[in-house]
Amino acid sequence: MDNRVLVVDDEEHVRKLYMNALSRKGYEVDTAADGEEALTIIKQRDINAVILDIELEEESGLELLKRFKSVRPELPIILNTAYSVYMSDFKTWVADAYIVKSSDMQPLIDKLDELMGIPQE
Amino acid sequence: MPSLMETIPAENRMMLLRGPLDESPLGFFLTNERGGLEYVSREAARIIGFESSEEAREYSLHDIEPAIDCGLVEGFSDVLKGHNFQKTEHICTNRQGHFAVLNIFCSPYHDTDDRITGMFGIIQDVTESYHEKTRLEEAHYVLSIISQISAALSSKAELDEVLRMILIGVTAYQGLGFNRAFLFLADEEQNCLEGKMAIGPGSPEEAHEVWSRLAGKHKTLLELLNDYRTNEKAINNNISSLIADWRIPLDKPSIFKRALDNAEGLKISSAEDLKPESIEILNRLNTDKLAMAPIISKGRKLGLIAADNKITGRDITDSTVALLQTLANTSAVAIERSQLYDNILERADELEKINRRLEESQEQIVRAEKMSVIGELTSSIAHELRNPLMVIGGFANMMLSTGDGGENAEYLNIILSETQRAESVLHQVLDFSRASRTRSRAIEFNPLVVKAYNNFLSRLKFKQKKPKLSLSGNDIKVWGNPDQLQHVLYQFIRLTVEDMTEECNIQISTGLNGNMVRLTIGFEGDDEARRKVVKTLSQIFGSSTGTQKLSMLVAGETIRYHGGNYGVEGSAENLPRLYLELPQIKGGYDG
Repeated sequence: MDNRVLVVDDEEHVRKLYMNALSRKGYEVDTAADGEEALTIIKQRDINAVILDIELEEESGLELLKRFKSVRPELPIILNTAYSVYMSDFKTWVADAYIVKSSDMQPLIDKLDELMGIPQE
Repeated sequence: MPSLMETIPAENRMMLLRGPLDESPLGFFLTNERGGLEYVSREAARIIGFESSEEAREYSLHDIEPAIDCGLVEGFSDVLKGHNFQKTEHICTNRQGHFAVLNIFCSPYHDTDDRITGMFGIIQDVTESYHEKTRLEEAHYVLSIISQISAALSSKAELDEVLRMILIGVTAYQGLGFNRAFLFLADEEQNCLEGKMAIGPGSPEEAHEVWSRLAGKHKTLLELLNDYRTNEKAINNNISSLIADWRIPLDKPSIFKRALDNAEGLKISSAEDLKPESIEILNRLNTDKLAMAPIISKGRKLGLIAADNKITGRDITDSTVALLQTLANTSAVAIERSQLYDNILERADELEKINRRLEESQEQIVRAEKMSVIGELTSSIAHELRNPLMVIGGFANMMLSTGDGGENAEYLNIILSETQRAESVLHQVLDFSRASRTRSRAIEFNPLVVKAYNNFLSRLKFKQKKPKLSLSGNDIKVWGNPDQLQHVLYQFIRLTVEDMTEECNIQISTGLNGNMVRLTIGFEGDDEARRKVVKTLSQIFGSSTGTQKLSMLVAGETIRYHGGNYGVEGSAENLPRLYLELPQIKGGYDG
């Protein structure tokens, strides 16, 4: 089943939340705390979508977005950040979606379902 | 031993002296006991009005006394008794009818036996020096008047005070002594003279009353001028109304224009041969004789003084007109100085306003910097809070949705709703923070309101009634951060209007309230609508601590930061009305 998602976020609790929430929705979830780890996973595993934070500790999510797309141009990537200001940054336009972080994860899940062609509940 | 002179018979003595005495600038004459003129020197004959010394000897003192009229005949009797007779600066008309001022000294004339046989007189013509002295006295008088008026004027800067003093100088008995005086000032833009002030009695009765009172005070001109405030009521009357708001065009010929164009005093003694404009001037002043003196400084026509003797009917002499002109010249300096003083005051006032505006701008800059720092800080904190809130709320949400909450489901719900509330606050703060990064500028108010209004409309559901929008026809601008103000207007409309669209008809309008640009939100509806409006506004403006209140606080702080204010107006008959005001800026303001 093509429902493997990679969550890239430098905050452990966020990764854990996404891991639990998405797993409960039936996704297979991998997590990475930085860009290098994420690239390794993308190259090694058959990842079908990426949820990517922008404000990472070592490397900007926007830089990572470029690198991910150069490796896997067809890979759907959702930018997921606490900042709404990046929405007007043209570097984010390469991403397939931009969703501001919220305790209400439904919009994120809906977008993920849409990008992966999973019928919504 | 007798002197040589004494050896000569008395009747021959004068004959011996005749040569030297005839050459003297003094006049000499000798009479016999009956007053007959025995000898009259050449100069004495000229002074008295004889053709020659010889002619004079055919006359006596009785013949010349009617002309000279100095009491010489009576004096002659005393002289014959051994007394002297003297007259100094005696003003008379000589036998030829010429004006003369004479010094006369007479003493008894003795013969060899020391008997008085006649009178010896010395006569001096001092007419020229008398004229000179009179001229000096007149000049002193003029200088004294001008000096006193100048002294009084030099201490005054207010134009009204200066004008009043000039008029007092013209009309005071101790000054130029005119009955009435009128002062006109030039309006250079309109090319006309404008009546400013006048003083003088309105009737003979009033003149008698006022002049008697002033005469009783025995004041010098300077004292009178300096006491003008106390005399103001006594001197002033409604004669000023004669010329109030009177504008005399200077593009048509008139006596006023002639005086100004020729830059010299002018006297009108009758209305004959005058043009209609000039006759109108005399009619309006209710006089037929008028003196005028233009007030000119460095070629600039400042105004004109007109004066007359309407009450006493005294003639206006050329010398009085000249004196009036001298006073007008002195006044020109004072009026110009006063106008400069007014200009300086005006400029000082402008500078003060600019200074105040500068201070306000500086305060705004400081506040803007503070706001910017606060904006950055709050933005940073808000972002830091978003992740933990998301994690807390996310887990609560997850547990609830999967039924893992069990008996703690209620508490999980509380955690979730409070998290969502906190996220909503963060959303407001972040929006404001983002707006604060935009630079301030002049903004058209109406388009700003339209944008906020349209944003609001997009939130409305299908069944909700749209508020009506009515924009001011004026081109109104405010100064500020467009993003912040946009956000504020949107919040203001959303918070106050959104919950009331079903119960009320709502009218949003823009306009001006003095120097403030105003957005007004009015409500119309029944009692139920009133209750709803009061309740909603209480939540927003009252002491509650809800999210709405916080949003309004942020909006309110932004309004105040932009120099504006907001509030609720109401009356017993109508529903409450909300308003938001921002300072209007006018064209040319560059911040």
